[in-house]
Amino acid sequence: MMVSFDYKSAVTTLHELRKSGERKSDLVVTLGENLIHQGYAGKLGDEVWAVYEQIFIAALDLGNDQLAIKCLENLDKRFPESPRVKILKGMKLEAEDKLDAALALYEDILKDDDANIAAIKRRIAVFKAKGQDQQAIEALTRYLDAFYSDSESWLELSALYLNFHLYQQAGFCLEELILLQPQNHFYHLKYAEILYTSDNITMSLKEFCRVVELCEDNVRALCGIKLCTSRLLNLPISAITSSSSSTNSPFDMKTISDLNALAVERLSTIYSKKRRGGSSANEITDWLNNLS
Amino acid sequence: MSTVIIGKILGWIGFITLLHSTYSTYEHLSYLKAVEKVPNDMPIEIIVECLFSVIIFAVSVILVAGPLKPILMKNEMVKKSIDKVDTRPSFNTFNHRGRIIKSSLG
Repeated sequence: MMVSFDYKSAVTTLHELRKSGERKSDLVVTLGENLIHQGYAGKLGDEVWAVYEQIFIAALDLGNDQLAIKCLENLDKRFPESPRVKILKGMKLEAEDKLDAALALYEDILKDDDANIAAIKRRIAVFKAKGQDQQAIEALTRYLDAFYSDSESWLELSALYLNFHLYQQAGFCLEELILLQPQNHFYHLKYAEILYTSDNITMSLKEFCRVVELCEDNVRALCGIKLCTSRLLNLPISAITSSSSSTNSPFDMKTISDLNALAVERLSTIYSKKRRGGSSANEITDWLNNLS
Repeated sequence: MSTVIIGKILGWIGFITLLHSTYSTYEHLSYLKAVEKVPNDMPIEIIVECLFSVIIFAVSVILVAGPLKPILMKNEMVKKSIDKVDTRPSFNTFNHRGRIIKSSLG
């Protein structure tokens, strides 16, 4: 039983989740159910419609169809004939596995307004749900031709390409993302890992270094640097100098071994503190020593 | 905290000085109109008082504003987790087992 439901903090949390786009459906449904059933919905003012939408989507995620229908009814009463509410109805059809009906609904919306971004994206999501990844990629590419500054869609396209192990194309998507948000170290990190997987070690090392530059002591990037430098140090010297002279990279053997030492040192420091790893700190240090 | 209080006091002093100078200007202009002279020259005291109040205001605002907050993107991004960045909410699909598991639990 709730002792005293702090609705203000609930509203703030829901607002934060809406801003960041995280998928924490459990939390949203718990907070949302309390908000609605304890009658706080009236106190929210105009924010309540966005909250209803958020709770609706989270309820669909959890299979809580009653709550979803309730939210949808409230929205429908307030905004009859609204394309945004139509999209939500389409999502409900998708959740009930009526994918063809949902697709027909989205195409109906697009007939009236073929630049309705939400409908375009949901149509792509339906293709994904049906398993028609090819068509999803095609539709997404057409959308990105027109709206090339949409970070979310570039991320989605790169994820779709990665499903097919098309690393070059996935890397291209990440390059577009880096152009859009060059200070976001997560994009550099994903790009570096795609490059490493497609065996482009020198570029991958550069990108991992960039991540550490943007986000100090980023453990994933430090491990990446360690892996790249170990690979490069074990290659025959001719392979490195020929590749580095052709791509104009600033890496020579001294820099690579320095980076290797730096990565080992930083990782050891991080994992030796009590807060990280605990008992597994020894395994990490063993791995670090063995890999070199 | 004390600098904030000094800043607030200075702010009030500046405000009152400004009010006083505006009132003096109004008084002076109505005097000139009454004497039917051309309102061309403003007595130097009013100008000095006005500028003085601006300087006091500037000092008070600096004292009240408090420490500057960092705005580098780097400092913000360090705090974020990948869950917040690698999320594509518009493309979420619902054909996952969560729907069946969660609804059968509750």
